[in-house]
Amino acid sequence: MASMAGTSEIYRNVLGSDLSQCVENAKVLMVGAGGIGCELLKNLVLTGFKDIEVIDLDTIDVSNLNRQFLFQKRHVGKSKAEVSRESALRFNPDANIKARHDNIMSPEYGVDFFKQFNVVMNALDNRAARNHVNRMCLAADVPLVESGTAGYLGQATVIKKGVTECYECQPKPTQKTFPGCTIRNTPSEAIHCIVWAKHLFNQLFGEADADEEVSPDTEDPEAVGAAGEKAVQNQEKEDAIGGIERASTRTWAEDIGYDPVKLFNKLFNEDIKYLLSMDKLWRKRKPPVPLDWETIKKACNNEEKEADNGLQDQRVWSPEECSDIFSQSIDTLKQQLLARGEDLVWDKDDTASMDFVTSAANIRAHIFSIAMKSRFDVKAMAGNIIPAIATTNAIISGVIVMQALNILNGNLDKCKTIYLNRKPNPRKRLLVPCGLVPPNPKCYVCAAKPEVTVFLNTETLTVKTLEEKILKERFGMVAPDVEIEDGKGSILISSEEGETEQNLPKTLSEFHVGNSARLKADDFLQNYQLVLNIKHRDNLEDDVEFEVEGDVPAPRPLSPEPGPSTEPEERENQAAAGDNDEVMIVDEPAPSRKRKADESQQEAEEQQDMETAKRARVSDATADEDDDDIIAL
Amino acid sequence: MVENPSVTDERNGSAITEDEAALYDRQIRLWGLDAQKRLRASCVLLVGIKGLGAEICKNLVLSGVKSVTIVDPNPVNEQDFVSQFLVQRQDIGKNIHINDICHDNGVKFFAADVFGFYGYMFADLGEHKFVEEEPKIIEASDNESSRSDGEPKAKYRKVDVNETTIVQKFAEFYRLKAALACKLDNRTEKILKRLPSVYFMIKVILRFQSQYGRLPQTTMNTGERDNLLTLRDEVMKELNLDVTLLPDEFASHCTAEVSPICAIVGGIVGQEVVKAVSGKDAPLNNFFFYNGLEGHGTVECFN
Repeated sequence: MASMAGTSEIYRNVLGSDLSQCVENAKVLMVGAGGIGCELLKNLVLTGFKDIEVIDLDTIDVSNLNRQFLFQKRHVGKSKAEVSRESALRFNPDANIKARHDNIMSPEYGVDFFKQFNVVMNALDNRAARNHVNRMCLAADVPLVESGTAGYLGQATVIKKGVTECYECQPKPTQKTFPGCTIRNTPSEAIHCIVWAKHLFNQLFGEADADEEVSPDTEDPEAVGAAGEKAVQNQEKEDAIGGIERASTRTWAEDIGYDPVKLFNKLFNEDIKYLLSMDKLWRKRKPPVPLDWETIKKACNNEEKEADNGLQDQRVWSPEECSDIFSQSIDTLKQQLLARGEDLVWDKDDTASMDFVTSAANIRAHIFSIAMKSRFDVKAMAGNIIPAIATTNAIISGVIVMQALNILNGNLDKCKTIYLNRKPNPRKRLLVPCGLVPPNPKCYVCAAKPEVTVFLNTETLTVKTLEEKILKERFGMVAPDVEIEDGKGSILISSEEGETEQNLPKTLSEFHVGNSARLKADDFLQNYQLVLNIKHRDNLEDDVEFEVEGDVPAPRPLSPEPGPSTEPEERENQAAAGDNDEVMIVDEPAPSRKRKADESQQEAEEQQDMETAKRARVSDATADEDDDDIIAL
Repeated sequence: MVENPSVTDERNGSAITEDEAALYDRQIRLWGLDAQKRLRASCVLLVGIKGLGAEICKNLVLSGVKSVTIVDPNPVNEQDFVSQFLVQRQDIGKNIHINDICHDNGVKFFAADVFGFYGYMFADLGEHKFVEEEPKIIEASDNESSRSDGEPKAKYRKVDVNETTIVQKFAEFYRLKAALACKLDNRTEKILKRLPSVYFMIKVILRFQSQYGRLPQTTMNTGERDNLLTLRDEVMKELNLDVTLLPDEFASHCTAEVSPICAIVGGIVGQEVVKAVSGKDAPLNNFFFYNGLEGHGTVECFN
């Protein structure tokens, strides 16, 4: 970009000789070479950084090219880390850039790896990796610049062990999930139908999860009681006559050879009729209208197709079109399943997968009198796409370098959390600096001896769920070891392969882990120990498997608060109902407990700044990323 | 935008192709298809292509505008048909003249520059029409749940985050001449203290340019710093304002184009140009100032 001639001299002049020396000698790590990363790498080489490592496990996709300017069409499919290095070297061939096409969470990158760097800069798009790098930087005591963008909004902050809040000091809103009976029995919004359709995909073609049932839920608390009897009778009748085995949708689908008409009639006719028989559900709701293949074909045959005004994806398909596409996509997916010989994984960028979810969700929406959506909109909700633009990333990447300069200059006190707002706040600030906040003494990560309280049912929760969903997913561990504090030091989970696999299917109570038990979890790579205080609960709200004390619930999907604007990213974020590993989330480095707006003026004014900053953060509460971030619903 | 004939589409129809939809997917999801259509019909003239100019150019090309014409400061053809005008650096004095031509001809005008740790953007979009998406206020529908409990309907008025309406809006902009000649000494001390000091710094640098025929060059040279501070005192005195509204520290940090500052200001300018040509969302009116020492970016209207 800018001519590099005389750059050193210019920077000596403008940064001062001490700082420019620091920059020249600094060794920095950039985690992520996507939206923020491309901009950041350019800034780093143009600012005179000479020793840079870039790590990213991802490859280039065409939808990256509207902002990740180090990549071109010919690079699609190649490593982001490697291509970004090649492109950035053209701006400054003197820089020493090392590219790693790899996962930063791999055990190869231990504490010693992180210790080499003067500063680490995150340019990530998911919470799991952010948590991990946070812990590695705490363990290595290396300053970390954390950042995130979503549409027009962005932020960057600094994390330093013992001085500032860490990335995990404040609880982040958990992913929005929906109660099983809303999904299975009583959908009232498009998102419920989309979640159902994704579950259906997994039931039919993917890895089935017991939490992802799609058939009517007879145990719906709303439906039980006398009124449910009719349904139970019907079920007996149906099971006897129709021979439909509710336990395994997959087996049944295989038995009928994935016949689209049979699938259609089962899902959109029989199951709906069954739901209607649970009459308690429909006293205050509009009852669904069952469809069947024959009538939809006949009824819609003479319906005129809407004039094509451009993009297929932007148009809402008619129920007839949906049924055609439903049928075609099932055929394609069946072939894919055969060809692959293993479970399919839902991917928003796979045409048939996306067609299937769009058509199935829309047919269900139609049945329940919910407005149908275009494929474009369904894709945003099902794929949890966070809109992303070059300008926001450019601004935030500039802010990241300013933070890094302050760190290298020894001016940690001048570092701030900087928020980019969509509109100027009442103080007319578009970029709002807020003072850094000291660590939360109760943080379950950076406190001296972190402990948390977890509510769960020790009689039913398995060791596997403890490992996968609690320790890995919720507490961000990579390879935990767990010891029971029972005076004997019994090992519940070992990170060594083959040592404790036999424990996984067993429940906690089988190991005498009951109410008030204490479990010591340890992740060697992260150099992180956490004590879990177990509190037994027979039942938890909304059918969740566990609850962590102090967790913040997800924001309500329909907020009565009239915000100044409704941004697409906000809408899409509310759709985030996922629970899987590619989740991308928020990153607010820190909520506003005592956040000081960084102005030495009247408190009331400060309050305004804080409010606005807070709002910005709340608005991107479930997603704050830049990339193609996917949340499986 | 009616006043911009380049919007009458020269490509075959206004349809965005499937390829473009894939390429621009992540931004179409942000500003919508109509804004993207207007972007692809817009032509931008960019004057000056150093650090900041390169950033702006990159951002505009990525956004999908039809063309960016880059010229060096000297051969500016005032007759060039453009929908955008961006000027930076040495042209700071000429800006007023170019801005006048743009203003009279309904051409959107921006000026922007970076001085060390500071930067600014000025916009004159003339009489600017734009649309904004606002949340839809929905009345409770006549569904059974609201009827059954007999609550008054008004209680159910709420904002549906899933629905928005498009609202037509209008903003009036001012010429750079007026923005720079703005009288401030009649304002209260409280208001003055809140004004971004970078505004005054720009005036000092303008003065420096006309006096020395160049931009201030090196911060290590105390002579240069003293010259800047002398000019600061002069400028503030003429404005009849306290010199502390522009603290001394600016004089040590206002030379050269610092890359991250270019990225920040270039990002703001890029986004404002996108808003201006797409007619979507409220533009910043009329100055944006970035202060890299404090980390804040402020919008202020001077006229």
